Amino acid sequence: MIEHPPAEFGLTVVSEPMTLTFHVTGELDYDTSGDLVHCVVEHIDRHPGPREVRLDFRALTWIDSSGLSALLMIHRRAGAAGAELRLDNRPGFLDDRLRLTNVLEHLIGCAQPLDAGTPEADGDATRAGVT
Amino acid sequence: MLVVDPHGDLVRINRAARTLLPGAGHGDSLHDVVPSWLSDAHQRLVRRQGDASSVAPPSGAIDERLFEAHASASADGDVVWWLVDDTGRHLAEQALHTAQERTDILAQVSSALLSTLNADRCMEMAAAMAAEHMAEAAVVLSPPHGRRHTLTYAVRGGPATRVNRQIDPRGVPGLSEALQGFPPVPARWINPDDIPDWLLPDGFSAAGSVIVTPLPGHGVPAGALVLLRSSTDKGFSEGEEIFARLFAARAGAALSAARLYTEQAAITATLMRELLPPVLRRTHGVEYAAGYRPAKDNERVGGDFYDFHPAAEPTQETLVVLGDVAGKGLEAAVLTGKIRNTLHALLPLAADHQEVLDLLNGALLSSHHTRFATLVLASVSRRAGRVRLRLTSAGHLPPLVVRSGGEVEQVPTHGTLIGALPVVTARTVETTLAPGDTCLLYTDGITEARGGPLGDEFFGEPRLRRALAECAGLPAEAVVERVQMLASQWVGAGHHDDMATLAVGAPRTGPLTVVGGTARHPLPRSGR
Amino acid sequence: MTHPATTAEVRERLWEAVAAGDEYDAVRTVRAALADGTDEESLLLDVIAPVQHKVGEEWAADRFTVAQEHAATAINERVVAALAHHRHWDTGQRGRVTVACVDGEWHAFPARLVAEVLRLRGWRVDYLGAQTPTPHLIAHLHHTDPQAVLLSSSLPTHLPRAHSAITACQAVGVPVLAGGPAFGPGGRYARALGADLWAADAREAAAALEAGLARPAPSAVRQVVDDLPHLADQEYTMTVHSRGRLVKQTLTDLEDRFPAMRGYSDIQRERTAEDIAHIVDFLATALYVDDAEVFTAFLTWTAGILQARRVPARSLLAGLDALMEQARDFPRTLGLLQDGASAVRSHPVPRPDTRV
Repeated sequence: MIEHPPAEFGLTVVSEPMTLTFHVTGELDYDTSGDLVHCVVEHIDRHPGPREVRLDFRALTWIDSSGLSALLMIHRRAGAAGAELRLDNRPGFLDDRLRLTNVLEHLIGCAQPLDAGTPEADGDATRAGVT
Repeated sequence: MLVVDPHGDLVRINRAARTLLPGAGHGDSLHDVVPSWLSDAHQRLVRRQGDASSVAPPSGAIDERLFEAHASASADGDVVWWLVDDTGRHLAEQALHTAQERTDILAQVSSALLSTLNADRCMEMAAAMAAEHMAEAAVVLSPPHGRRHTLTYAVRGGPATRVNRQIDPRGVPGLSEALQGFPPVPARWINPDDIPDWLLPDGFSAAGSVIVTPLPGHGVPAGALVLLRSSTDKGFSEGEEIFARLFAARAGAALSAARLYTEQAAITATLMRELLPPVLRRTHGVEYAAGYRPAKDNERVGGDFYDFHPAAEPTQETLVVLGDVAGKGLEAAVLTGKIRNTLHALLPLAADHQEVLDLLNGALLSSHHTRFATLVLASVSRRAGRVRLRLTSAGHLPPLVVRSGGEVEQVPTHGTLIGALPVVTARTVETTLAPGDTCLLYTDGITEARGGPLGDEFFGEPRLRRALAECAGLPAEAVVERVQMLASQWVGAGHHDDMATLAVGAPRTGPLTVVGGTARHPLPRSGR
Repeated sequence: MTHPATTAEVRERLWEAVAAGDEYDAVRTVRAALADGTDEESLLLDVIAPVQHKVGEEWAADRFTVAQEHAATAINERVVAALAHHRHWDTGQRGRVTVACVDGEWHAFPARLVAEVLRLRGWRVDYLGAQTPTPHLIAHLHHTDPQAVLLSSSLPTHLPRAHSAITACQAVGVPVLAGGPAFGPGGRYARALGADLWAADAREAAAALEAGLARPAPSAVRQVVDDLPHLADQEYTMTVHSRGRLVKQTLTDLEDRFPAMRGYSDIQRERTAEDIAHIVDFLATALYVDDAEVFTAFLTWTAGILQARRVPARSLLAGLDALMEQARDFPRTLGLLQDGASAVRSHPVPRPDTRV
């Protein structure tokens, strides 16, 4: 009769010669965003020199302001390492938060059109880019 | 060993018994030579015709020692009494009983004293328990504050009383040493006649015996304990002195903890005062009200904040701000304090919200972190019954305006969050409030409150809008209270984020004419 | 040639001002009565309190909107503040007490009146207001060491939180006097939760304080099951934990029984869900105090409210039915639901009282 707890936060990393991909599952919030930053930064430092850092948010269920702060930090660290940050498969609530705080353009850069990151629009095109 | 015939006359007495009862000899009446406990026991035994098996052996004192008397009947009807010296065992049992009692008392003392973190109360309880268990009266003296000490008096069975007074501890042998944490002076060294009147509780005329013992604290002395008995006959034994020291150790530890808590609480309160949200009030004909609920019930501050800078003149603008920093608890609160201070310094520039935000952004940018803030600036002025608002959102949820007729509008201001990007932009939007209109600024703790009847839904903006529509025409204070209440009830006992709301209202003129038709909610008045 | 107004006349005038939303007239009425020599305590308890009571009744009878009720209460608050502002009192010669509402309780007006009456009678009162989190209350007690805490609660669903507040206060050696309708007829739940005393109204509370309240022996915090051993059966815990699921399932069952419900708007559906959630909350409370009265009283009151809003009691019974289906393995819960259903069936359906 007990309610289910919220979706567990999870992170899987795919490391390729040019690209680091992080699949984020569950809620990115005050309790979990530190883990994400720590993990991403560690992989960037260990990698010989990624061109791209991709965060895949297909299984993201929620993000709060601490989560957004984590994205800004990852953007900064990826930029310092010479890599471009891409936010793939962004759910609507993530875009809403990025738009409300006016950081969408900053985070995804001008190269990525506004709607390119939404699951409907990008879909296979982005995935194709990974290979 | 004694042999006694059925009439109670001594028949035989061995050497050991003769040493014990020097006057006794053959033919004497038992009644005349032994204490009554033994002669009575003999009579009882004779009446029961020698059946000694079913009763416990009688016991009692002869001179200063304790004996158990074991009887065995001889064939001719005489009774042989074997006297067994029981003094050692008896003393051991008594000591054990006292030790158990004292352990119980010490456990009770610790548990009682540790229940309070109020130092005065702690001293009252220590004095009362000391008087109850160890003396007729007790006095607890605090370390000095300046030249004054707090003295807590207790007489057994009476209430504790407390005074603050200037005293000279050197007037009491051992007291000034005890207050400095030196080992206690043995009770026998203290002449009760030296005890000054100020150390005696009301109704306690003269001291007969006295113990003065330090209350050891955590690193610093926690005070001193004085135990008093009125008569000189019942002096304090060495065991009692040791027990008093054990009691004092526990009382001192509890008292130290209470003082430490009080000091910490005072420090926290002082530091927190700067971080607590301000009280808003009606200013220059405009109503202001705000509500705040931190995420954790044991905290008073968090990452949500608001501030209020009333204009000096009615023609000038009042600045209010409401915002939210990423993070929680005291760490987040410290950042809100920095933002509020910076904004306060930027007040002279408040005519240009963009400039204020640029400077604030510059002040908060850090290469070490990306902890950012979102906020809304509102400059408010009133002219001819209407309230003019200039609103600028820096990455924050846009304000909502509820008109007196019940329509709810979003103010379309939009801008960049503060403190993480090198450049910020923002659009300022102007709006006007007619009498009865209210503008609400709020943080996402309201709309992202999770709960509701199904337990897992967000409160959300549509619900907030509906709630506001019902608040049409209400004073700003009532709007804030209702929104805070609905969001709190939505989460129930569950977890929530910080929640803050701030309302700016144009006061109605004349009595309330309620709009919006009939009441809608058929179930309990969970609120008022 | 005007004679001083009677209490009943002042009450009638204040009600008219409050109902009309006229703050200034309301304050004027009470100040005039004070100037005419009406006793201040009587103004608080025999004039303002009944007027506030009637505000609630008007809402229950669907003659006041939520907004009107809020506005009326706000006016009454300001009337009380205006009285207090005029007063010159010697604070605290009797001693110090704390007045607070249980965490979650927003209904602060009765506690406010109690605080004012105690101040009038010479107590130094720390009034902590609505929904005081228990950690704040306890920190306050450590700081001020009052002679007693007066704990107010209106809604019985706050009883579990009231219980933890009561045991926490007592564990630091401060006695608790409970008050407010949440504690049941004659204060029966106050006793069940181990409060030191219960008072029916402000005058009784003041008299109890004047008589003196013994401090509870300070000791370790009592565990919940020390006071309420029946909680060991876990039915209360289960009901609280599965609240959302119970509501969802009941909604589904109701839709099966009343196909018209499938056409409900989101808002109507949410109202129904809220109604069911309230039933579950009161059920949980009844399980907590192990007393059907708290549940049946809520249900018959609800039936009356529904009646005032022309909703038949049939839907209430159907909701209870659906809950019974889900509670088959929980004997105490099932018993309460059965008691509830028979109370609704035999409910005489009076109109909510409307006299002042």
